[in-house]
Amino acid sequence: MEMKLAKAAVDAALAAGADYADARVNHTVHEELCVQNGSVAAAEAPEDSGVGIRVMKAGCWGFAAANAGSESEVNELAKRALRVADDLSPARTEPIRLAPLESGAASWETPFEIDPFEVSLEDKLALLNEAEASMRGAEETVVKSAEMSMRREEQWMASSDGAELYQKLMRCGAGISTTAAKNGTAQRRSYPASFGGNPRSAGFEHIESLDLSAHGERMRDESVLLCEAEPCPAGERDLILMGNQLMLQIHESVGHPNELDRVFGHEVDLAGSSFATTEKLGSFQYGSELVNLVADSTIPGGLDTRGFDDDGVASQRWHVVEKGIFKGYHTSREWADRIDESASRGTNRAEGWYNPPIIRITNLSLMPGEWELDDLIADTEDGVLLDTVKMWSIDQRRLNFQFTSEIGWEIKNGKRGKILRDPTYQGTTPEFWRSCDAICNESHWNLWGVANCGKGNPMQVAEMSHGASPARFRKMTFVK
Amino acid sequence: MNLDREQALAEAQRIAASGGASEIEVSVCQASEAFVRFGDTGPTQNADRDRVDVSIRVRLKEDDGYREASASCTSLARSETERTLKRALALASVSAPNGELAPMGGAVEVPKTALSKTTSQHDFKAKAAWVDRAVRACGERGLAPAGLISTHGSIRTIVNSNGRQVQGATSRAGFALTASSTGGEGWGGAISAEVDRIDPDLVIERATSKASANRTPIAIEPGAYTVVLEPAAVSSLLLFGSYYGFGAREVSEQSSFLCGRQGEKLFPKELLLVDDAQNAFYPRLPFDGEGNRKSRVELLANGALGEAVTDLNYAKKMGVRCSGHSLSQPNTHGPMASNLVLATGDKSREELLAGVERGLLVTQFHYTNMIEPRDLTLTGMTRNGTFLIENGEVTSSVKNLRFTESLVNTLKNVSGIGREPEVTGALFDGEIVTPWLRVEDFRFTSSSDF
Repeated sequence: MEMKLAKAAVDAALAAGADYADARVNHTVHEELCVQNGSVAAAEAPEDSGVGIRVMKAGCWGFAAANAGSESEVNELAKRALRVADDLSPARTEPIRLAPLESGAASWETPFEIDPFEVSLEDKLALLNEAEASMRGAEETVVKSAEMSMRREEQWMASSDGAELYQKLMRCGAGISTTAAKNGTAQRRSYPASFGGNPRSAGFEHIESLDLSAHGERMRDESVLLCEAEPCPAGERDLILMGNQLMLQIHESVGHPNELDRVFGHEVDLAGSSFATTEKLGSFQYGSELVNLVADSTIPGGLDTRGFDDDGVASQRWHVVEKGIFKGYHTSREWADRIDESASRGTNRAEGWYNPPIIRITNLSLMPGEWELDDLIADTEDGVLLDTVKMWSIDQRRLNFQFTSEIGWEIKNGKRGKILRDPTYQGTTPEFWRSCDAICNESHWNLWGVANCGKGNPMQVAEMSHGASPARFRKMTFVK
Repeated sequence: MNLDREQALAEAQRIAASGGASEIEVSVCQASEAFVRFGDTGPTQNADRDRVDVSIRVRLKEDDGYREASASCTSLARSETERTLKRALALASVSAPNGELAPMGGAVEVPKTALSKTTSQHDFKAKAAWVDRAVRACGERGLAPAGLISTHGSIRTIVNSNGRQVQGATSRAGFALTASSTGGEGWGGAISAEVDRIDPDLVIERATSKASANRTPIAIEPGAYTVVLEPAAVSSLLLFGSYYGFGAREVSEQSSFLCGRQGEKLFPKELLLVDDAQNAFYPRLPFDGEGNRKSRVELLANGALGEAVTDLNYAKKMGVRCSGHSLSQPNTHGPMASNLVLATGDKSREELLAGVERGLLVTQFHYTNMIEPRDLTLTGMTRNGTFLIENGEVTSSVKNLRFTESLVNTLKNVSGIGREPEVTGALFDGEIVTPWLRVEDFRFTSSSDF
């Protein structure tokens, strides 16, 4: 029925005079549960359904969206999209050209073992209650929170290029966090990552595998110890980033500057532009020779692992940085032509039915190296090891950044020492990646999910994952 | 879209009265939006879109508190809302009772509000004309444009089983333009409830003149400078007070910068910061996410920080009045001061600059974020036009700088307040009404090469 609706919308747009049309019918089911300080603080079950229709007329886009559920409603919506294109096309100075695409009927579904919507609410809350209870026992902890999120998104997409694509994406995540207040400061610790934990494209088996309650005691103790710890001193020393901090560095300083619409200035009004301009492609020394960064919309478990993007382009894997050299961009059918590529990389995505698609970072990972973490620490004379994202800020061209982790440990003469509070490092993107001289091996490598990436104006939220193992960066600047 | 007030109210009343729970709250948001983004080739992304969001919150009363849950859908069709009510009840039935929850509010009077007709009627042809003017103006000055024109209207209806029934309308129109050369950028923007209060030529002139003056920025050393902050720069600092400081939850959890400072005379007495949804300059919904009437709250007045804003649950927990600052419930964020208004002073732009021997004029900050909550220590980069002030005059543009500074110090060091208010937002969510500010000893900690 939904595919029929999508095809009806495309037919209506073509009949009304569109040169190209696509329609996406979306239905998303979400469940969020949070236990905080012994009570259920959030038990929510949102559902979201609607249709987004995109047309091209005279080289100009028109997009309309509504909670439409009938053929007559989508027919009217298609005409609205066309009116937008008609009204705006006189202001275009050149037509938009789409990279060619051969399309047809196909489907794709996230593989999973346990359907999270078949697990009883009692079992989910029991898991969260146990996780929250594991953080009790210290009077300084003012917040103890355990949460999980489950999301199933179905999309039926049809286009005038012949696409009839169905996909079902399943995403699950969970995490715990505790905040202690003492000595005039408030300090948070989170597991396995901050801001809701670590989500993946997976079923409930992923939430079970996180074993939240086994980590509560350590989070509690570290949050209290942080309130008693010295602030991380300013100065220059080596930096070891654990994967759940390094993933943000990948996201902010490689992912975003790699979006081709940013490079051409079309996001400068809010999100910003990019230092990674097109003349650098193929020659720019982005990082040291150890640095291999791979975009991959096919990797198992990635939050942006799927069959197709919202242009209908099939998922792909490619190098963004290879042996330190800048090699490729994230593109769409609209933007591929700007760098003389004949096909899109398939990274055009919308937040649900309500938004037009824009270029988004897909799963982007730093490939593992050869080190054991213990050996890396033993090899570091004067450094700090940082774990878990706390705060980030990066400039509009994605060069100058300043990031803070939840916790740091001093490393002196190859030994991990005292805890340091609010460890904050600052640098510029190429200097940072060029200073990478050691990356831990595959046994330390993990996929970290970003469920709240904002881009566009009005802003849209998208999801993706970043794989990383701990890595060392020489002589970074720490600030207080 | 026809934003049908009656349909929303009737369905909300029906569900709230349907029984099956100790308390039921229905919140309906009907929204219609039209926007156009544009770049060097004219209009790019756009949307003409509507949506309905129906959220149903239910409570089951037990001896030791309420079991509470919510579910939502995107349709007012009875079959959908009834299915949603069932999901909420199923979730609530397995939730543990929470003894800290206050009962839902009862009947309340709120001021009447209406959608702006001019904003609702601003169509895509009108937007295309603005795009055309911006693209041409930038082209004539050798600049690349990028921007957004948007108009938005929404109706919010909240009804609960305790007799509460409120409905309100808000409109918003915005025009923002960033003009770029290879050397630097310039920004102009305007936001209003009424689209005809936006002067597109003024926005275009601000952006293009700034960008034209910012083609060859010079490098300066980071350090402490006197800064003159335009409203867009002020907003990206003060909004962090909304996100992390002015709410009762942060005070309750001892993570707020209010903790240990309330009532202490730390700030210039001229500073008056209030949360006031019914301010005449940019009126917003007069009620909060629980349907409480929003109070005007003095957050900083007579040199001292005032009370934190509350919702029903935190008012009960802390034994204080409910100020009407709830987000949609249930939520873990707690109450939020989301309608900040910084009172104007008496200084013109020239008077603010005149007091500066060597300082910086800042148009905007980019990606401001919080390092530490108890002092609200923030960091971010300047963007879209940063200029050196020497002996009261703007002398040249400078390359962008990263600041690391606390909001507490920033407010302590205010030495001048502008006399013209503007509505302005930031990279993250939220908008405030604020004039220009001059701040002494504002700390920049690193620089960029652009």
